[in-house]
Amino acid sequence: MILSDLLGAEVYGEEPLGHVTDVRFVLEGDSSNQPMPRARLHGLIVSPHTKSSPLGFERTEIRSPWPIAQLEHWLHRDSFLVLWADIAAILPERIQLRPGFTRYSALLVKSAVPEPHFE
Amino acid sequence: MKRRHMLDPEAATGRVLDAQLHLLDRQVHDVASVPVTAVSDLEISDVDSIQNIPPGTPAPQLIALLSGPVLGTRIFGGRPPPSRLQRIAWSDVDEVGVVIRLAVKGETLDATWAERWVRDHIIGRIPGGRHDPE
Repeated sequence: MILSDLLGAEVYGEEPLGHVTDVRFVLEGDSSNQPMPRARLHGLIVSPHTKSSPLGFERTEIRSPWPIAQLEHWLHRDSFLVLWADIAAILPERIQLRPGFTRYSALLVKSAVPEPHFE
Repeated sequence: MKRRHMLDPEAATGRVLDAQLHLLDRQVHDVASVPVTAVSDLEISDVDSIQNIPPGTPAPQLIALLSGPVLGTRIFGGRPPPSRLQRIAWSDVDEVGVVIRLAVKGETLDATWAERWVRDHIIGRIPGGRHDPE
């Protein structure tokens, strides 16, 4: 499976919920036999209003440039994360969630990648 | 009304990578900081019965970075055939930052075969093409 199978796919619960705008991985702490830890698929970020990427504005500390941040927050309003455990099927251009799936906030508080600092 | 969702349990652990944000389109440098390629796509391990995933199925793993000619397919749709995509194993990745740094030399990767072929078969046959400029 490649990432393109997931990005942009339409997500369904009992009704259409939106499109996959990003795929979240989590580094596993116990895989020390290689330079980077293994990365497992944690969940899908689903946006009800757009297929486009949030351009990094899902990071809670990124709020500028203000007009673009406001536009991105508006475009991605009500975006949510569904965990792998809540995915029932991956079909061509369609992802079906399990009944009673949980919506988590798509906000990213701290990632595994250090943020660049601009002086 | 603005909906509030529960915070992702991993969101603040510092162990999260978002594919679009942190991996796709990033430049890849080898162990000597020589640019190798850019990330066009990611290969994820296959899941049995993907069209009906049983509860408790282990999550797929990220197994490789893919690079290849994706500009046309991003504009017009579709995807390049798998044979046109070069793989860089995730186990060869050393660090993810502004660029993705590998723990191996670029010379050992399929992603640089075209550059090596041009060097060996074209540039190398030009007089003076086999050594640094003086």
